[in-house]
Amino acid sequence: MLEAIDLVKRYGQVRALNGFSLRVAAGEIVGLVGHNGAGKTTFVEIVSNLTRPDSGTVTIGGKSGTATRGLVGIAPQHISLYPSITVAEHLRLYGKLAGLRGKSLRSAIDDLAVMLRLTEIMDRSAAVLSGGQQRRTQAATALIHRPPVLLLDEPTAGADLETRQATLDVVKQRAGEGAAVVYTTHYLPELTELHATIAVARHGRVIARGSSEELMDGLPGEVRLTFEENEEISVSTTQPTATLIDLLSRADRPVAAVDVRHPSLDDLYRSLAVNDVS
Amino acid sequence: MFLDTAYRSGALDSLNRVGALARHNITIRRRDPGQMISYVVMPMVLMLVLKPLYVRAVDAGATQVATGLMVMFSVFAISMAGNAILAERTWKTWDRLRATSAPAAELLIGKTTPIFVVMVIQQSILLTYGCLVIGLPVPREPWFVLLSIMIWAFTLLSIGAVLATIVRSHGELSVISDVGALTLSSLGGALVPLSIMPTWAQYAAHLSPGYWALSMMQAAIRGDEVHMLLPAAVLLTIGAVAGTIAVRRLTRGWGRSRLL
Repeated sequence: MLEAIDLVKRYGQVRALNGFSLRVAAGEIVGLVGHNGAGKTTFVEIVSNLTRPDSGTVTIGGKSGTATRGLVGIAPQHISLYPSITVAEHLRLYGKLAGLRGKSLRSAIDDLAVMLRLTEIMDRSAAVLSGGQQRRTQAATALIHRPPVLLLDEPTAGADLETRQATLDVVKQRAGEGAAVVYTTHYLPELTELHATIAVARHGRVIARGSSEELMDGLPGEVRLTFEENEEISVSTTQPTATLIDLLSRADRPVAAVDVRHPSLDDLYRSLAVNDVS
Repeated sequence: MFLDTAYRSGALDSLNRVGALARHNITIRRRDPGQMISYVVMPMVLMLVLKPLYVRAVDAGATQVATGLMVMFSVFAISMAGNAILAERTWKTWDRLRATSAPAAELLIGKTTPIFVVMVIQQSILLTYGCLVIGLPVPREPWFVLLSIMIWAFTLLSIGAVLATIVRSHGELSVISDVGALTLSSLGGALVPLSIMPTWAQYAAHLSPGYWALSMMQAAIRGDEVHMLLPAAVLLTIGAVAGTIAVRRLTRGWGRSRLL
């Protein structure tokens, strides 16, 4: 569905993208992760036709350039709402710009209002919404026209639990209907809940791609036992559960607390950074 | 399932998108009418207060005070156009709109048409007030006046738009538009008639769009289409140059500013 091949984008001396390639199939959710400056947002901007790559191509369902207009729903990283405009007016505007009219527009707005828990705040202007409500409204503007490609750039950044869950639910639903979703985030558990495959960006290109199990396989987590005298032992291990059982069976004193830390995205970045020669 | 929301280039589709954008921008204007109100009420008060002075000091004093203050406060409205466009940058909504189905040309038309209409209404109200209250002669050819208002509004809108794409903050826009408006309109003869200004100022006036606007408006009120032509051509040229730069900047996005 979405295919980006060998994208290069320079801003002066800085190479924001340096051979960035990513394919996302219909119905697939790809968690695009990477540190700030890895090229995630530039990639999103290119796919949204906000900026042109210096080289490389993007196609959506075989179409490229301005022919992809209307095929992408985007929720940018930063909040981009009109302060004096209500939630309902935002949805009507973006729906109409996508060509929705009358009954289909009303039904799209009603559906999203329920799914993203916006029903109670439809008549409130964006300026008086909480951060989470603004996030949900912004996500709704991306989803209103049911596009085949969704670009959600950290849609839950700083959001409350209600917003996070509502967003994840609707993303899963849309992917279930066949949308290709690119979801950038710094929260690995969200990608696990979305059953997303992961693409790791670094220095403007994708350096690893696979399921979270594949990518995390072999990365060490940590097991920590705290004894009643406040003494601690901490073991770095690739098999936290087995290590925990082993440590508990060998403990000769009462254990006060157990802490098992599974590998995180930071561990993955660190591991990939070691292997990434660029 | 997916809706068929791929971009459609038909005239009706285009009209629908522009209509949606225009209505949206009218709503924004309607909910924040402060600037527009002040740029209509302030010149009305000043016209009334200054009329006796102008009538005694110069020939056709009522025409001078009405058209002069109308031109001056319409120049101030540049900041209204500039702020409306710059706000899209502050709110980060312009790029969001650029990512929709609507091409840049439609976004620009939808954004600027309401501002253009507001400027035309402002100038029309002030000239009507001038006729009814101040003693401005009723134009023999109202269509000339309407045409002049539209040309002047186009020029102001273009200047405001280009300023919005160049400045780095609302503060910068305020400084440039307020100081610029006062300088250009007074240099152009909006405050003091050109005939009693120093010789150097009379020459320098030709550099001010305010001078050409005043010449065009006064010719239009007299029904003198011949003397409307040159000022109209100058203003349309300024508007076209500024508008082209603004369109190029707006269609490509702003880039990043340290202040916004």
